[in-house]
Amino acid sequence: MTNPAIILDTVSLTLQSKAGPVNILHDVSLEVSAGETVGIVGPSGSGKSSLLMLMGALERVTSGRISAFGQDYGNLNEDGLAKFRRENMGIVFQSFHLIPTMTALENVAVPLELAGRADAFDAATEALGQVGLSGRLDHYPSQLSGGEQQRVALARATVPGPAILLADEPTGNLDGSTGALIIDLLFGLQGSSKATLLLVTHDEALAARCSRVVRMADGRIMSDERGSA
Amino acid sequence: MLAWKLARRELRGSLASFRVFLTCLAIGVATIAAVGSITSAINAGLAANGRALLGGDVELRLTHRFAGAEERAWLDAEVGAISEVVSFRGMIGAPSGERALAQIKGVDGPYPLIGTIELADGDVAEALAVRDGVFGAVVEQTMMDRLELSIGDALRLGTNDVELRGVITGEPDRQASGIGLGPRVMVSQEALEGAGLLQPGSLYRVAYRLVLAEGDTAERLRARLDEAFPDAGWRWRDLSDPSPGTSRIVERIGTFLVLVGLASLAVGGVGVSAATRGYLERKTETIGTLKALGASGGLTVAIYLIQIMLLTLMGIVIGLAIGAGVPLLLAPTLRDALPVPADFGVYPVALFEAAAYGLMTALLFGLWPLAMARETPVAVLFRDVVESGRRFPRPIYLLGLFALFAALVGVTVVFSGNVMLGGFFIGGLVAALLAFALVARIIRWFARGLGRRQKITRGRPALRLALSSIGGPGSETSGVMLSLGLGLTLLSTIGQIDANLRGLIAGDISESAPAFFYLDIPSPQKEAFVMAAKKDSAIDRVETAPMLRGRIVKINGEVADPEKIAPEARWMLRGDRGLTYSSTPPEGTTLTEGAWWPEDYTGKPLLSFIEEEGRQMGLKIGDTLTVNVLGRDLSAQIANFREVEWRRMGINFTLVVNPAALQGAPHSHIATVYAAEGEEGRLTRMFAEDFPSAVAIPVRDVIERTKTLIGQLADAVRGASLATILSGFIVLIGVTAAAQRRHLFEAAVLKTLGAEQGTLMRAAVLRYLFLGSAAAALAIGIGALAAWAVMTKVFEAEFAFAAGSALIVGVLGVLATLFTCGFFARRMVAVMPAQMLRARG
Repeated sequence: MTNPAIILDTVSLTLQSKAGPVNILHDVSLEVSAGETVGIVGPSGSGKSSLLMLMGALERVTSGRISAFGQDYGNLNEDGLAKFRRENMGIVFQSFHLIPTMTALENVAVPLELAGRADAFDAATEALGQVGLSGRLDHYPSQLSGGEQQRVALARATVPGPAILLADEPTGNLDGSTGALIIDLLFGLQGSSKATLLLVTHDEALAARCSRVVRMADGRIMSDERGSA
Repeated sequence: MLAWKLARRELRGSLASFRVFLTCLAIGVATIAAVGSITSAINAGLAANGRALLGGDVELRLTHRFAGAEERAWLDAEVGAISEVVSFRGMIGAPSGERALAQIKGVDGPYPLIGTIELADGDVAEALAVRDGVFGAVVEQTMMDRLELSIGDALRLGTNDVELRGVITGEPDRQASGIGLGPRVMVSQEALEGAGLLQPGSLYRVAYRLVLAEGDTAERLRARLDEAFPDAGWRWRDLSDPSPGTSRIVERIGTFLVLVGLASLAVGGVGVSAATRGYLERKTETIGTLKALGASGGLTVAIYLIQIMLLTLMGIVIGLAIGAGVPLLLAPTLRDALPVPADFGVYPVALFEAAAYGLMTALLFGLWPLAMARETPVAVLFRDVVESGRRFPRPIYLLGLFALFAALVGVTVVFSGNVMLGGFFIGGLVAALLAFALVARIIRWFARGLGRRQKITRGRPALRLALSSIGGPGSETSGVMLSLGLGLTLLSTIGQIDANLRGLIAGDISESAPAFFYLDIPSPQKEAFVMAAKKDSAIDRVETAPMLRGRIVKINGEVADPEKIAPEARWMLRGDRGLTYSSTPPEGTTLTEGAWWPEDYTGKPLLSFIEEEGRQMGLKIGDTLTVNVLGRDLSAQIANFREVEWRRMGINFTLVVNPAALQGAPHSHIATVYAAEGEEGRLTRMFAEDFPSAVAIPVRDVIERTKTLIGQLADAVRGASLATILSGFIVLIGVTAAAQRRHLFEAAVLKTLGAEQGTLMRAAVLRYLFLGSAAAALAIGIGALAAWAVMTKVFEAEFAFAAGSALIVGVLGVLATLFTCGFFARRMVAVMPAQMLRARG
């Protein structure tokens, strides 16, 4: 394997709940190469979304280590993690997670503005054009349909040109045809940028479009298969 | 019943969402209930202690004269007991040679008929009695301090000496005796004989306190008295209103403070509205489900209306408990602090008033979101964003809102007893609320526009985040502006008026004011007084005028009834007014209508009257006023109206007549002495030597005391405004807390996109700084406008913007928002994205 993008080394995650600690992930180890597309599948509660959160540096591991492009997440503070995400990652969520007080264009421009890019709005306009939303630049999320909101989220995740693209059930809240459109866009954008894609889904057919499929159950990796895609 | 059942089920476990609702309502109701309870306690105290306050069942008062022998004999025969008390201003000399103005009270043997005069040590009758040929005197502690006196000192009283024998600690009839400019000195009437103080024409009042004969009533006595002496010019006062001045002041201050309390309820209303809206928004799915299961729109409204009503009742009960309880708890302290008796207790009418305001405010502010919730479509169950197609509630609810508002205005007017005040206050409140709501919209629009200007926001992500948060949908801009706005506006208005009034007194008035007013200069000594003044190099100028007091008793032959004229001019008929005569218009007079009489005019008495009050009383040239002077009626025709600038503090008289009209009437003179500051002590001593009966009123002292009084009044109103500010702050916290979930989510998303903690913190600070400054700026603007109106229309003075007061309001506004921001932003900055995003699905 060449150029590992992300390495997880015996990672465990335990969250506190009112009923006591809940073990979400147990000693998970995984290595993903740069440019790889990985589908992560498993039943609800298997820990696949939590695994994605950890890889996206949105949550700290309870034990074990995670690094991306040689950078150990454990060595970074909150701001360091934010900066690392800004420079290396794009994340798409099932619930879109657009900022309701910002228009589509502003939502897409935010990561570029945070990175100090002077052309933030021009690049955001272009990115929205690529996902077919040139006519919706000034709409607020509440004025967009679910499919449109997810396209904005996709544009926002890909516009900085991240090396790693994380998608958590991106079609979970969409109807079949809209979902298919989003997936085509996702793979298209990944293809053109050669980013590493980690896609969490419960849809086997969708996972099969990835070059590798990781199956999870009860917070553990049950299988790791490389396909032909 | 179904609605009741469902409402109870719904409300279970939801109380925590209504903390702001309950607190705001409780604070507003508590403030109004407390003010009402204290006012009622004072009124009850005045009523219960009426006889002691009045010093009898009835008080008859005469000005400038004692009752004639015939009058006195009549009184002795008709009443059960009688006591005669003379009171006047006079100068008291200490053994050190220092002199001070005093309110002197000369009492007779039977005094006091009712109640007891309390001395620090000993009995008043013994203290005043003659001992070794010298009469005694008792004084207030203030006089002891002012002249550095000790018991046993000889006090100079006119041309007599009296011995200081005690310190007054309690004088129940003090209010009835009039609150004077100096501290009280009490002597027996015999001690005044030969002192040269009570001469014909000097300014004194004689009060006859009467205890009714058995079986007699005040009404019957009054009728007999009026029949026996129709022109005596008595001022009658009985137990129906033993202390009219005090009860009027208490009533007015009480009314005003209730209105200030109402402002706190209005701010609370904003909190009620926000809490109701927030609650109903969280219940959107429940409402959709209820509708899907067959609940009608009406049933839906009923379910939530019952909940809001239950919460309102809860808030009102809490507020009433606090509002009635706190004055009771503080009763011992308040009783000592108040200058009037108060009977603390639970006063149902005051509590009812507070409850009525609370109920109407809660309904007024809660009904709109409730009516809008009725329009929630069932489709919310299937899609996130569904427009109901309605921007306003149905007409029936709008009608209900209008009726509630009208009822609130009506109740305010009825309770305040003053259509103008109540109407203006409610109008002002509504206008201020609308102004803040409108400006909030403008700010959002402005923030959106500014956020899109890349030139401004490029490279400043924190600014962009702050602007989109202020301008975007669901922003808390309106909530922050409305919650902070009213409290700051009240503070700003009070601050501006206070500063302007102090400035007016310190500037205009102080500069042009004389150093002294001298009263009671006997006519034969007038020339000598002027000469002495002119000889002294420290005195720049001296002006004199004949001085009498008279009461307007009839207007065009009809008995002058204060209730029949405009409220602002009633004071003209309530007591004695200054009266002088002059053959030419006094210096600086501006006639506005009519003409002055010829210098040698000796015809039918003519009168010059002050213009503004004349207009308010409905008077016109040619009308006849009858003035009771020294027990005799003088009828004079109004020949002209003149403008009086009271602020000039020169010699101004309400009534000026032609000299012949008062020929032969004994009188004294008033003088204004203009002298350099710092000369007061020497001049007082100098004039006291040669003119022992003349009374010096040091104007600079009076100005200082007025300034202090204005300051105290402003502090009282500021104190009452605290409730509004506290409510505003709680609503602000409520509004911020409601927005907190959204801000936490935004922070999580922004962190996901690479925002650092500093950027998020800066964005939050900028957002609150901007909103706090905007609210403060508008509050300062509205406050200045209101103060301008008060200063130019009520005080007819110039308005000057008080920057210091504005700065305090600005700082307070910014601090309030920054504190709130600091409180909430820490959590926002510390949030781990995964926690928040996972919770949102």
